[in-house]
Amino acid sequence: MKRPSIRRASESIALKSLSGIVVLLVVFSAIVCVIGYRGFTRELMAQYAEGAFLTADTAALYVDPDKLDEYEASEGDSEEYRKTWLSLDQLCNSSGATFIYVIRPDRTDYAHITFLFSTVSRQAPYTRYGFGFVRETTNDEYREKYRALYEGNARRELVIRDDGNIETDRHITAMIPLKDENQETQAILCVQRQMSGMAQARGEYIQKVVLVLALLSLVVIFGQGFYLNRMLLVPVKTITDEASRFATENVKRNEKLRETITNRDEIGILAGAIDQMEEQIHNYVTDLTRATAEKERINTEMTMASRIQAHMLPNNFPAFPEHTEFDIYASMDPARGVGGDFYDFFLVDDDHLCLVIADVSGKGIPAALFMMVSKVVLSENALLGKSPAEVLRNTNNAICSNNKEEMFVTVWLGILELSTGILTASNAGHEYPILQREDGTFKIVKDDHGLVVGAMEDVTYKDYELRLAPGSRIFLYTDGVTEASDAEENMFGQDRLLTALNEMPHEDPEHLIGHVKGSIESFVNGAEQFDDVTMLCLEYRGPADMSKE
Amino acid sequence: MLNIDKKLDKDQLQMALEGRLDTLTAPELEKALMESLDGVKDLSLDCSKLEYISSAGLRVLLSAQKTMNKQGTMKLTHVSSEIMEIFEVTGFSDILTIV
Repeated sequence: MKRPSIRRASESIALKSLSGIVVLLVVFSAIVCVIGYRGFTRELMAQYAEGAFLTADTAALYVDPDKLDEYEASEGDSEEYRKTWLSLDQLCNSSGATFIYVIRPDRTDYAHITFLFSTVSRQAPYTRYGFGFVRETTNDEYREKYRALYEGNARRELVIRDDGNIETDRHITAMIPLKDENQETQAILCVQRQMSGMAQARGEYIQKVVLVLALLSLVVIFGQGFYLNRMLLVPVKTITDEASRFATENVKRNEKLRETITNRDEIGILAGAIDQMEEQIHNYVTDLTRATAEKERINTEMTMASRIQAHMLPNNFPAFPEHTEFDIYASMDPARGVGGDFYDFFLVDDDHLCLVIADVSGKGIPAALFMMVSKVVLSENALLGKSPAEVLRNTNNAICSNNKEEMFVTVWLGILELSTGILTASNAGHEYPILQREDGTFKIVKDDHGLVVGAMEDVTYKDYELRLAPGSRIFLYTDGVTEASDAEENMFGQDRLLTALNEMPHEDPEHLIGHVKGSIESFVNGAEQFDDVTMLCLEYRGPADMSKE
Repeated sequence: MLNIDKKLDKDQLQMALEGRLDTLTAPELEKALMESLDGVKDLSLDCSKLEYISSAGLRVLLSAQKTMNKQGTMKLTHVSSEIMEIFEVTGFSDILTIV
């Protein structure tokens, strides 16, 4: 028997379970990374902005908004302007800002800005704009924020350029308004800071998160794998191994699965169920084996009984080759292994042949047992040389004395005097005999019937005589012949029996019986028969001296 | 198939048999008789619809007859010619009361 690949099956469970966990962990990690990345960026950005505004607030202390018009008038060519610019330049280099500048946008549509101050950190690869330099506002965002600082009373504004699609590095610009005594915005002070360190910091952060998550995943996978292996795969493998072993060997295990697998979960229930199943199958197989052996034994006994019964009946033909006065043939076909019908014939003395045909009520073994007793008692009585009626009477009394089951047997018994052809017979409830007349036709003899043997004690029977002419035959049978039925439950009957016999009136007994059997078989046409079929035929050939001629 | 129709009137039991009384059905009649023969003095079996009787059926009738011999009478009524022939062949007509 080919064993299923258990190893691969369990691996597949582990693989499925673990790959599910891995997918979950990857998704989980990705979500954590995105959330972390965003939070980290926001936090970092806030810090940058805070720094930039701090620088802007400091720078605002250096610039006097009320003097801006003066500076503009002198185009930046004054001692005070230069002092202010130096302070801003120092601040720019010390604060980490890349660019500090003061601008005045044109107030019509804020599309252009004019630089009043502009300082660039020495580390930055830019050059500063000169006083009065005019350029286009970078984009709409800047424009809106300028407008807000002038017209919307905004205290501070911030522009973040972190989209990577810009010509410069990533940076933020903190803006605060410079207001005069009347709280009118005179200019905007801007502090620009590079965010070059941020991408790097973010990269490191992501790396750390991924590393930690990867380590965590490994721990979870190994942990889960170990757990799965111990709690699921090992017990499942034990169970499948055991089921597979039981399927091949069919032998119970000394140690129950439930003793090795102590799980209280479904695996434990499964192990218990397998234990129970093995127990039941084992018991069933044991019972079945016993029942089969028993049946086998009964069959053997039935075969033996059938053979014993068959050998009880004379079945060596020709039976009396030294007696030329007659030829005899008989057959008994039980419907089951053993039957209740029987025939018998034996020489009482040199000139007297006893013929018996009988049918026990009921079927099978009880009938067979009763038949054996009847046969022995009948032949013993007949061998005492009594008349058929006396033989039946004695047999009846003998059987009735010990017949609690109220079984009975129909018997026709005749004694033929070989030298004369005179047949003395008596009938105890058996079918009518059929006699061949001198003209060759078979006819039923409506003989006088007594009660069946075994029914009641002290029944008397009558003898009657028939004369067999040389060359004539007597045919005896049981009701299995006349009551043989076809599929529609039509019976073979006496008429068909007589027809069959008269078809071959000069056939010898063996072939005549064979012919009747053939007629019955073609009549029933395969329908199952429930009664034994027994026939006996004797052909009288005349006295010894006559038949020798 | 055998249908048994029972009618008990005090100590008179009437049974109508319909169908075949053979090896298969004889135990049914035997059981029916065993259950109801106690105290019955007059048993009457109506055989008008009885089609066939085998040796197993005869055995049950014999049994009933023997029981009734001790406690009363038993008779068979409306016996058809086919059944009658079976009774005659087996000699049962000598011991059964057939009216």
